[in-house]
Amino acid sequence: MTCLLIFSNINLREDIRSLLPDDQSEAALDFRLLQQAPFTRKVIINLSCAQETGSSELLGTVDRLAQAMGPPFFENVVTGPSGPDIWEFFSWLMDQQPNLATAQDRKKILHELTAASVQGKLEEMYSRLLSPEGSALKGLFRADPLMLRRMGLEKVQFMNIIPKMRLEDNHFISTDKKNALIIADTSVKITDTHQARQLLGHFQQLVGAVVPRDIDVSLISGHRYTLANTDAIKRDVVIIIACSSFAMLVIFMLFLRTWGGLFVYLVPVSVMCIAAAGVSLIYETVSVVTIGFGAVLLGISVDFALHVYFAIKHSSSNPAGAIAEVSRPVLFCGMTTLGAFGVLLFSSLPSQRQLAIFSLIGIAASMILSLITLPHLTPCKKDANVFAKSAGGKRFKLASKWIVGAWLTILVICVWQGSRLKFDGDLRSINLVPQEIRAAENKLRQTWGNFRGNAVIFAEGSDLQSALETNERLFDYLSPKIPAGKMVSLAPILPSLRTQRLNRNRWDEFWSEKKELARRLLVQEGKVFGFSVGAFEPFFESLSEPSPPITAENLRKSGLGEIIDALIVRADDRVKVLTLVPDLPEVAALMDRRAKNLSGVRFVSQSRFSQIISRAISEDFTKFIAKASVVVCLFLGLLFRNIKKALLALVPVISGLLMMFGVMGGLGIGFNLFNVVAAILIIGLGVDYGILVVCRISEGSNHATEKAVLVSGLTTLAGFGALVMARHPALHSIGVTVILGIGAAIPAALFVIPALYQRKP
Amino acid sequence: MKRIIFMLMIFLAPGGVFSSQLQEDRKSPGEKDRIFSEITTAATKVTTLKSDFVQERHLGMLEDVLISKGRFYYKKQDRLRWELTNPVSSGFAVNGKQAKRWDGKSGRTETFEVYQVPFIKLFTDQVFAWATADFKQLQKEYQITVLGDAPADLKLVPIRSQEKKYLAYFRIVFTADASHVNAVEVHETGGDFTRIRFFNAIINTPLPDTLFD
Repeated sequence: MTCLLIFSNINLREDIRSLLPDDQSEAALDFRLLQQAPFTRKVIINLSCAQETGSSELLGTVDRLAQAMGPPFFENVVTGPSGPDIWEFFSWLMDQQPNLATAQDRKKILHELTAASVQGKLEEMYSRLLSPEGSALKGLFRADPLMLRRMGLEKVQFMNIIPKMRLEDNHFISTDKKNALIIADTSVKITDTHQARQLLGHFQQLVGAVVPRDIDVSLISGHRYTLANTDAIKRDVVIIIACSSFAMLVIFMLFLRTWGGLFVYLVPVSVMCIAAAGVSLIYETVSVVTIGFGAVLLGISVDFALHVYFAIKHSSSNPAGAIAEVSRPVLFCGMTTLGAFGVLLFSSLPSQRQLAIFSLIGIAASMILSLITLPHLTPCKKDANVFAKSAGGKRFKLASKWIVGAWLTILVICVWQGSRLKFDGDLRSINLVPQEIRAAENKLRQTWGNFRGNAVIFAEGSDLQSALETNERLFDYLSPKIPAGKMVSLAPILPSLRTQRLNRNRWDEFWSEKKELARRLLVQEGKVFGFSVGAFEPFFESLSEPSPPITAENLRKSGLGEIIDALIVRADDRVKVLTLVPDLPEVAALMDRRAKNLSGVRFVSQSRFSQIISRAISEDFTKFIAKASVVVCLFLGLLFRNIKKALLALVPVISGLLMMFGVMGGLGIGFNLFNVVAAILIIGLGVDYGILVVCRISEGSNHATEKAVLVSGLTTLAGFGALVMARHPALHSIGVTVILGIGAAIPAALFVIPALYQRKP
Repeated sequence: MKRIIFMLMIFLAPGGVFSSQLQEDRKSPGEKDRIFSEITTAATKVTTLKSDFVQERHLGMLEDVLISKGRFYYKKQDRLRWELTNPVSSGFAVNGKQAKRWDGKSGRTETFEVYQVPFIKLFTDQVFAWATADFKQLQKEYQITVLGDAPADLKLVPIRSQEKKYLAYFRIVFTADASHVNAVEVHETGGDFTRIRFFNAIINTPLPDTLFD
């Protein structure tokens, strides 16, 4: 009852981090870096109107909604660029030419310092002076007759963080003008389901109050995913536990039909409460996945109780003698299962470690309850010495050839198909993404470009300047290979102070040599169009004016604050400058080729991360299999001290694993993080079945072992069958794979072991 | 400054010139209201305008006055065409939110949305705003002095500091019946100014939609 009370007060958590390595591995590092990518933690709101609504109504709605969005749920609500207007930005940009102009830029200027080129520019200027915009542009022409500003504008192209975005009345608007964007921060953690629910509820209220019906609003943030997954898992957990409990009750009533069977049923229920309570005492929060795994524990823990129950019920001796006989195989079963789950304690995945603790506590509790408590509650039936004989040798002897033949055939097919099995490291495939979120994501991507799916390259340094220097080296390497519109980088507009100083010095040197040439050309060619001798004096004056260096703070004041904040990340006393590039294999290959020469640079992307996770799963799984096999073989050796019996006890495990790999490989089902857990489970349970059946056959004990294996197998299948009903892909995935494994392990234990044992006396 | 150049050619009328000197405002508030009311009434009757113009640009950066000629078309509510014919052939046309501009020498034509080119957006906003001659709104933005009432001659001095940085004042002279603008002068703070005189204006003549496409 105490455990039940603790269980009911557990602090459940649905956090993807628990599914990922928390060590210093590549996957762990990449995951942490991906969290620092732009927009990862932002709330993005897309407002979409029908054609006839018009952009003015849309933008009015954007303003009203943005104004309504405030603390405590929203902060830094942005609907467009902040800061001065675009002309002031251009003016600022022109003043920064000395700091920004590269060697290539200077080469280009020199190339254009010819009479023909200057004449062409002056003619264009003259023509534009005649137009209504001429008066406004006059100052610009005087300050920049050589149109050096175009070089600056080329650099600004690298700042376009949202590819298909346009500006209208200082608002982010899509090219078709039917969509507008609001981007906001929130202090609500993505993993805080309670606050996330409040945030989304509050937002819906705002939409109801502010947004007309003909404007569609969709909010994209991690909070929606968290809520969708948590709700699905919570719903699944209720369904799974209810269904598996009911199914087990039905099985008990079919096979046991006694009041004593109800006590057997109480063992897994108690085990579930004890294990959950035990985990909650160790961990502050318990993953809902761990609790969902309770169905599995129900299935395992009932096995021991069933074996003890059938041993007592069908024993010819007194109950104490039956317990004494059954305790050895049950203890060894328990120990091998503990050993298999114990392997998970060394996993780099927090969720698997928690799962191991949960299972170890549960299995230990199950053994204690089954061997110590249950016998006092189970009535002894002296005349039931029947099952062992009826289930004995003749039937198997007659069918042994066919059984072994069929078994081998199936194994060969499974090995063949199993070779196609692929490891799936994409976390999205084990996340529940409801249709409406998927549709909203697709629409966002189509409307604005895939700005949330870019790969991110982190240029890291101990301070901003060293990070900027690394970022420049990265840009120099990538810019000739990736077109301007496809790459977002701060390097062209915010070089390091060292580079700016170099640029300035060279700019001064350049103009000290070329100033007179430029003046001569402008005066000479300007005469043709009537420009006065001093028309472009502001330009020459600006060449000798000091140009203060560009800093991140300058850029913020110039209206680029959002971009600066998105692309410069400070954490753990380090500074990272981010470059965004398409998440494509060719770009990844580009980075791989120069990885050694670009120190301080790390390429991170969803695709790359999936590959790393896939590799980690594959490596983890191999380690698990190896360790679990060693543990299991060790225990089998200790128990049987006979290689033939030990090998026979492995038949259900091998059958279960190969069936799982074969069907998954054949059907193209990826092997994910959860399948690793499922595989360990198959090993633990399969060996249990093997040990019990081999003990029964070799030692001739008469404890209705086959019936116990069958009933416990069916019970386990009932438990996992319920997992198949889960909506959440992770739980569903466990259910599917374990059904395959256990579904094969049971007949292998009941039919193949006896058949092989008969063939090799 | 950006706004003022767009207030040049709204109500067009044949003939008329600027007087050589600016006169002080001698009109009582009642008389000013009457004049404004007459202009507003006349503006509401204008559905289309077609006029030739001559633009003189007096710029310090040029040795000579920059003179250009062209044609202006307006069609209520949101269409206009500003076309230079001499010394260069160029211009732009606005039809609602769509716009097109062309350059006769290069033969280059560009279609775009008005908001994408801030100068043209400001220009059209001003033209269309003046088409309604909303003096209540104008008086919030400019200190308006009536220099004369036959013809109506207004001097507008910007109130907002942002505009004051570039614009000293501008002046609009209407025809005697106040139905059209005769000429516009835009004086910048640096001493440069632009004068546009309109002539051969025709009001409410049918204008094909193709002019604005």
